[in-house]
Amino acid sequence: MSTHDHNARVPLAFLLPGARAQVNALGDEIDATQREQILAYGLAPGRPVTVLQQHPMTLVMVDEVELALESSVARHVWVTRR
Amino acid sequence: MTASAIALVGNPNVGKSVLFHRLTGAYVNVSNYPGTTVEVARASARFDAAVDLIDTPGVLTLPARSDDERATMHALLHEPLRAVIQVGDAKNLRRTLTLTALLAELGVPAVLALNMHDEASARGVTVDAQALSNALGIPVVPTVATGGEGIAQLTRALTDARALQPLLHYDTDTEAAITDLANRITRHAPHPRLNARGLAILYLGQDSEVEAWLAEAAGDQITGMASARAAAQTKGVMPAALAHERGEAAGTLTARVTARTAQASPLLAHRIGQLIIHRFWAWPILLGVLFVVYEFVGVFGAGTLVGLMENDLFGKILNPAVTTFVRANIGVPWIADLLVGEYGLWTMGMTYALALILPIVTTFFIIFGLLEDSGYFARLSVLANRLFKLIGLNGRAVLPMVLGLGCVTMATLTTRILHSPRERLITIFLMALAIPCSAQLGVVLGLLGGISFTATLIWVVSMVGVLMLAGFLAAKLIPGRRIPLVTEMPPIRLPLFGNVAKKTVGRIKWYLIEVIPLFLLGTLIMFLLNQFGALPAIIRAGEPLVSGWLGLPPEASAAFVMGFLRRDFGATGLFALSHQLSPIQAVVGMVTITLFVPCIASVMMIVKEQGWKIAAAMIAFIVPFAFLIGGLLNHLLRAVWA
Repeated sequence: MSTHDHNARVPLAFLLPGARAQVNALGDEIDATQREQILAYGLAPGRPVTVLQQHPMTLVMVDEVELALESSVARHVWVTRR
Repeated sequence: MTASAIALVGNPNVGKSVLFHRLTGAYVNVSNYPGTTVEVARASARFDAAVDLIDTPGVLTLPARSDDERATMHALLHEPLRAVIQVGDAKNLRRTLTLTALLAELGVPAVLALNMHDEASARGVTVDAQALSNALGIPVVPTVATGGEGIAQLTRALTDARALQPLLHYDTDTEAAITDLANRITRHAPHPRLNARGLAILYLGQDSEVEAWLAEAAGDQITGMASARAAAQTKGVMPAALAHERGEAAGTLTARVTARTAQASPLLAHRIGQLIIHRFWAWPILLGVLFVVYEFVGVFGAGTLVGLMENDLFGKILNPAVTTFVRANIGVPWIADLLVGEYGLWTMGMTYALALILPIVTTFFIIFGLLEDSGYFARLSVLANRLFKLIGLNGRAVLPMVLGLGCVTMATLTTRILHSPRERLITIFLMALAIPCSAQLGVVLGLLGGISFTATLIWVVSMVGVLMLAGFLAAKLIPGRRIPLVTEMPPIRLPLFGNVAKKTVGRIKWYLIEVIPLFLLGTLIMFLLNQFGALPAIIRAGEPLVSGWLGLPPEASAAFVMGFLRRDFGATGLFALSHQLSPIQAVVGMVTITLFVPCIASVMMIVKEQGWKIAAAMIAFIVPFAFLIGGLLNHLLRAVWA
């Protein structure tokens, strides 16, 4: 673990189920309307998320809400591990 | 429109419609998925008959982005609102307050109903309603709408409704743009009830309803507003940035008034919810659900119940009695024939509607209501997403399609929850083509299930194949981009008996009102065609197509004539012929009639939502396509399945 950089940004799609993370940024690849939608669902920079599963889609818990994201979107949601 | 109105506004799936029912006594459909309500409903309030209560579609965000959200914004702009009841989900306060932050800028008097606080407690979340009320400057009432908790307090609190305290100041550039636009709006397009500042924020957020309202009210001055907005955007004043700032402000306030206790273990509901979309367990669960639906609707409803109703009640008791009575008391033979003859209003129209279709739709609506309220349907969008990618859609479109299995007409309206006009167009087209409604589905299951499981399976595979093929082509032909799926999973809940019962009764009532007149009209048309000798001519004229190409008995032409009125009426016509049909004929007939023109009501809905040109184009494609597929299937099956 000593070589592991805890502050490194990783895409949400790469985390294993059970992982906890903090949203860092939404990539520019996500279009404007969808970005607004994701923010409204609570997946905003600074917010904690817990990954529940990755198949068939990325499923995360934000506060008390379960959100499902297609991997093409989850790949562009940048998080830092907690 | 002089009466005053109070609107229920809130995020999707927070219980607005339940509250509406509690406050007015009027029932609108209530389910456990976002997007049950897609247009406004109104009824006079129990506590004051002079007040109209307005139930609005849920908004994930304002500015509005989808057609159901636009309906809500439209209501805020155009209804004579005295106050707004914001309905919020207590366990999801951040999202609730993000919307509150926008309502505050509009300056409408408001009350906040903090609903489902029981579910919040179960998750270890408690909200200090008093502290929240102090911060917002409006009454905050914790409610459990399904249990009637807090309704009286909410009604009383309405007299204290007042304008909200603003939740935030935006950054300097944004504030400058808001002030500039608000001044222009005050000067050129003042709204009778809403604050110019709120409208300016929505206009900066590119809300199309507000854009339309301002364009109308400001006339030429809209160009000045448009260039002011364009200038602001070059400085980074973008809709998403505004939304982010509202979210931050809401998050700060949420943290201040919410307490969380750590939970020992995840809720059972969470575990079930995850199993349903588990990469492995999802599929056996789906098959299990389909099997239960098949057993309950196809075997019990369309088999046992229809048998009891059609053979025993109508065939042995009612119809002989009615026929004897009519023949004995009505001297004019053609009137007697009109009532109880081969194409009699009673013996055909009412018998089809009550003995064949009613038991089927009843069983279907019961199980449908249970699945809706459990939270299962919304999870299907995750399972269907990959498949729907092939047809240019995302999993969200599964919801209207599954609802289409109940009633395609209503489901056509539900496509408003989709995010782009392209998705709506593709989905509406595919539903008109290949999604059978409950009545038709039941008839199909009843006929084919009676033959063999293989026959049913061939029908299912044909329908899914056509859906995918037509969808694939439509996605290629209709320009635009596919939107990836991001969606919320509603909590898994135990359905409430009372709600499922109310919904089922409401749907059956609607079915009887809509279907019986059409079945009677259809029977009358058949009677007249028969009486004036046109039916044999139609049967003869249709013979090359119906007998030659589809391989069906010539009498089946009559079923297709009936199908023009309603597909299920046509399917019922085939059902009545079933003793004459071979398995191949039954499958071919049912596939063709399922694809065949959607019912008149759903065509009217397509015209309403998409315009008559698109509706006409769809029908011009669908009718020949149905016969093409039916004939191909006929020749294929004769070659391999004889």
